[in-house]
Amino acid sequence: MIRTSVIDNLDIQTTISKNRFAGIWKMMQGFRLRYLGAVTSLGVSAAAKTYTYLLLRYFVDTYFVAQEAGIGLPYIALGFVGLALIEGGFAFLSTVLANQTAEGITRRLRNYLYDHIQHLTFTYHSNTKTGELIERSTSDVDALRRFFSDQAISIGRILLLFVINFITLLNLNAKLALISIIVIPFVLAVSIYLFKKVTKAYESYQEQEAVLSTTLQENLSGVRVVKAFSRQFYEIEKFEKDNWEKFVRGKKLLLMHSLFWPLSDILCGIQILAGYLIGAIMAINGEISVGTYIAYTGLVVYIIYPLRNLGRVIVQTSTGLVSYGRVMDIIKEDREPLDLGDYQPDGSLKGKFEFQDVTFEYEPGDHTLENINFKVEPGQVIALLGSTGSGKSTLINLLPRFYEYTSGRILLDGIELNRYPRKYLRQQIGIVEQEPFLFSRTIRENITYGVGRDVEDKEVEQAARAAAIHDVILKFQDGYQTLVGERGVTLSGGQKQRVTIARTILKNPRILILDDSTSSVDTETEVEIREALQNLMKDRTTFIIAHRIQSVANADLILVMDKGRIIQSGVHADLIQKEGVYKQIFNIQTRIEDELEKELASA
Amino acid sequence: MPDSYFEEEEFESKFNGKVFSRIVQLTAPHKKWVIGFMITIAVVAGIDAITTYLSKLIIDNGIIAGNKQALINILIMYATVILVQSGSVFLFIYLAGILGERIRYDLRKKMFNHLQALSLNYYSKTPVGWIMARVTSDSEKVSDLVTWGFVDSMWGLMSILTSMIFMFIINWKLTLIVIAILPILLVIAIQFQRSILASYREVRKTNSKIVGAYNENITGVRVIKALGRERENLSEFSVLSNKMYHSAFRAAWVSALFLPTVQFISALAVAAVVWFGGNQAQIGGMSAGGIQAFVAYITFMMWPIQDIARVFAEMQQAIASAERMFSLIDSQPQITDRPHAIDPGTIKGDIIFDHVTFRYEEDEKPVLSDFSLHVKRGETIALVGPTGGGKSTIVNLLCRFYEPQTGRIYIGGRDYTNLSLQAIQSRIGVVLQTPHLFSGTITENLRYGRLDATDDEIVEATKTIGAYDFIMRFEKGFETQVGEGGNLLSVGQKQLLSLARAVLAQPEVFVMDEATSSVDTLTEALIQKGMQHLLDTTTSFVIAHRLSTIKKANRILVIEDGRIAEMGTHGELLRLQGKYHQLYTRQFRSQLEAAYNPFNQPVTAQE
Repeated sequence: MIRTSVIDNLDIQTTISKNRFAGIWKMMQGFRLRYLGAVTSLGVSAAAKTYTYLLLRYFVDTYFVAQEAGIGLPYIALGFVGLALIEGGFAFLSTVLANQTAEGITRRLRNYLYDHIQHLTFTYHSNTKTGELIERSTSDVDALRRFFSDQAISIGRILLLFVINFITLLNLNAKLALISIIVIPFVLAVSIYLFKKVTKAYESYQEQEAVLSTTLQENLSGVRVVKAFSRQFYEIEKFEKDNWEKFVRGKKLLLMHSLFWPLSDILCGIQILAGYLIGAIMAINGEISVGTYIAYTGLVVYIIYPLRNLGRVIVQTSTGLVSYGRVMDIIKEDREPLDLGDYQPDGSLKGKFEFQDVTFEYEPGDHTLENINFKVEPGQVIALLGSTGSGKSTLINLLPRFYEYTSGRILLDGIELNRYPRKYLRQQIGIVEQEPFLFSRTIRENITYGVGRDVEDKEVEQAARAAAIHDVILKFQDGYQTLVGERGVTLSGGQKQRVTIARTILKNPRILILDDSTSSVDTETEVEIREALQNLMKDRTTFIIAHRIQSVANADLILVMDKGRIIQSGVHADLIQKEGVYKQIFNIQTRIEDELEKELASA
Repeated sequence: MPDSYFEEEEFESKFNGKVFSRIVQLTAPHKKWVIGFMITIAVVAGIDAITTYLSKLIIDNGIIAGNKQALINILIMYATVILVQSGSVFLFIYLAGILGERIRYDLRKKMFNHLQALSLNYYSKTPVGWIMARVTSDSEKVSDLVTWGFVDSMWGLMSILTSMIFMFIINWKLTLIVIAILPILLVIAIQFQRSILASYREVRKTNSKIVGAYNENITGVRVIKALGRERENLSEFSVLSNKMYHSAFRAAWVSALFLPTVQFISALAVAAVVWFGGNQAQIGGMSAGGIQAFVAYITFMMWPIQDIARVFAEMQQAIASAERMFSLIDSQPQITDRPHAIDPGTIKGDIIFDHVTFRYEEDEKPVLSDFSLHVKRGETIALVGPTGGGKSTIVNLLCRFYEPQTGRIYIGGRDYTNLSLQAIQSRIGVVLQTPHLFSGTITENLRYGRLDATDDEIVEATKTIGAYDFIMRFEKGFETQVGEGGNLLSVGQKQLLSLARAVLAQPEVFVMDEATSSVDTLTEALIQKGMQHLLDTTTSFVIAHRLSTIKKANRILVIEDGRIAEMGTHGELLRLQGKYHQLYTRQFRSQLEAAYNPFNQPVTAQE
């Protein structure tokens, strides 16, 4: 399939307009002609329908009223078939074109949104709820798709049917035509009024459905608690309450529906009957022919009944427009420019860092980081100690440019950090997190994730061995092809961490960031992870977010942080000589051994 | 990936008479409603055919005959039937719709109540998402079949039948032509509906993958950015969105082709009618009104056929839904009250494990083998040992979440299978490692422990375990909403609340499974103090890695490979210099380290 570049690569951010309709029109770039084709085809199809009734009129007037032979019967029969072909063919064509448009625009939007989300800043992501973002990228995008594929085209069809048939009626008999549309404002009013109510009732029904789902979900996932307190009966009553409420709201919704259809039936029926009466009298009086009357009875149906649906479509369209707004809210956020930067060395970095008076603020004046000064030579190990909120994670997040420092300078290999493109930097930095995130793919895919090249099995296994996870993987039935997540195996925290270590070994970065938490891991695996980490740290500049003093003793530089500042720095041997937090922590060790001895003796 | 995300597959089953009749049975309690909507929809369909015939009479007896009085009479009749029809429309939507809601309600209730009776073994092998899909979407599909499915079929059949009758009245020869095309139409329609359904199923399947992809993209954005995998991700995703484009487009055009095809076939019938009817006009065999009516009947005929075909295709899905739903309803609880099970009013007394062997699955090796233990009333037993050694299984058996395959468990001198589940479980207080709270306020969650507890008792319970202070720090205090599953609180806070909940229950046997793993040492000490009374007065089982909790136990059991490796008091075991000694020294070090570390903040003070 040949696709022009605008179809593939429209920057949807540029389509944002003050006026929603203008924005939607801009969003349709590359598909406008097609959509126009869809509408035109609809017109042709509607016209063919109209001509069918005109042919019927001719047929009746010629063969039944005048009882003379006009065009031969076979031709008339053929005419009916031909018109049906045109009507059906163009209706089909219209749907095809409309859906190509809708699906095409949606595909482009989905891809853009997907890419956009992964390019949005850390700040945006930490301020936005996951569920909300997923909801907007899926349900709202789908609502927008329906806007293009159904709603907009339905409005077009209803209007075209009305216009074409009304004009035809005007030509058949103007008086009759004008009489036939009296009821239309009422039908429209009733349908818009009731469908607004239906929509409201539907929303409240949906809300209750969500409540019921939560109740069910909590009961199922808390089944042990329910059983432990033997609260089955209580739970049954709780569910019954929510379940009954859903039934009641469903009843309300249905009442709306069961009122709307007969009410509008009666309105339309009055109109049709009035038309029949007047048309028949005109026919009896000879003002119109019998054929004209028959054509009229056919055509008038296409003026009135579709309009009954217009209210529904209009109400639905307004929800489609709301969805458009919600999607555009995401799109109007600016991306993080990955390739922006004027300095990129040909090879790898050396890993020399210099922090000069660096500060960082999430919000102006919040002093998240202040006066950060230190130097790191390539291959050195820097340990950061401090409580939660002391700023050590924030400091680490500056390195891959997840956040931009507010003032001061960070020099990497002598060059200002923000001159490096983010993309390049992130290739050079490997991160092993405290709570690693694995994707619901196979273990092998998780290990090779983000390596950016084809990796041979042997290499994957080597990395897994170095990360002390190979043996664990082989114990699974499908080995490296085992799926991680709900459809596969659940890995323990330590296993997940070792998978990420293997991944980082394959990535082979010059700079390493380790969130060193082994608190939730068994002692045996702790040793293994420690070994795996030792393998990984060789020859790389390593930043360790440490929680325990054992893991920092060998560091080339220890930074003790508190409230966004470095309160102590140096190597272990020096720090234990100085009065301060570090010495305090260190002394605890000896105290612990003393206490242990006492404890054991007293037992 | 969050656990709540569950990719649901769709199924289709061959027609199954048994399942179908069981589905129909669902309507049995509401027979009157079914008869009601069946009759009213039949009336609606019949009147559609009648009005077309009345239109013919307007032309033939009114216009062509030039009879205004006849015209007015016919129109009055027309108006009357339309009023009757509108009333029927109201009734059938109301009756079928509300019955549909009612059957959904019935099904959900039936499944939920049954789920409460099912044992833990069912839950351990059935994903929550799977059960959710049965209760929510399958119940809808099945109830739609017996309401709207019936409505559509009835309407379709009645429409075809009444149209036929009127066509026969007008001209029986021409009717034969129409009858000839009916089967063709039906076959084509069914084929179409099948492939339409299949292609939409494909769309939904791809769509759930797209939702999954977005989910991972958003939840894993940190890793994606760190690994710089944006470009590969986009190209992987565009394969998916491409697939979506093609399957959605296919579904759209297949369904769009259906109507024109049917229209074309009916146009053939119209052409035949015109041809023969036109010839007959000359000899007076066919009137103008008759032609008009025939054309109307033929064009109208494709709607009922389309509906019948759709119902037929959807029925296969509904039957598959029903099969899975019935499988849930039919599954038997593994553990039930024996006949003549009693509630002795109290279960205080010794607890004895007598040569108990237990395995979760029959083909697995036993988790507990030949395990015997005699716990005296009021004793506190600490269980320690490696993960997977069998500690939690002992708790599961004690609470009778599972029953031993061989051997017996005695509580208060009785084989506990002679007691009712309610008798045991309502008197054992269990606090689990992963605390589970329900949406609602803190008070509501605490009262779960004892439904008739007074507010004072609730406050008292929170003071006992040292949760009172953090609760009062919330703006709304005890009326604070905990969020779905308690996700607005920290794990430590949730543990404290679930502990308070168990205390409030005033249990006779008390079980703590790593219940305080996420609270800081200081809070732990507070809990210890507050709980001492409870531990002293009840028979208690404690699984913990906190030394202070273990040390105070009357007996400590080191459980390894489903057996008791070491047993004794703290002092005895330390002197043994064995596994407990090893475990203790290691824990001692890391706990003091954590306790003295100035960077470690108490969990309960956070958030």
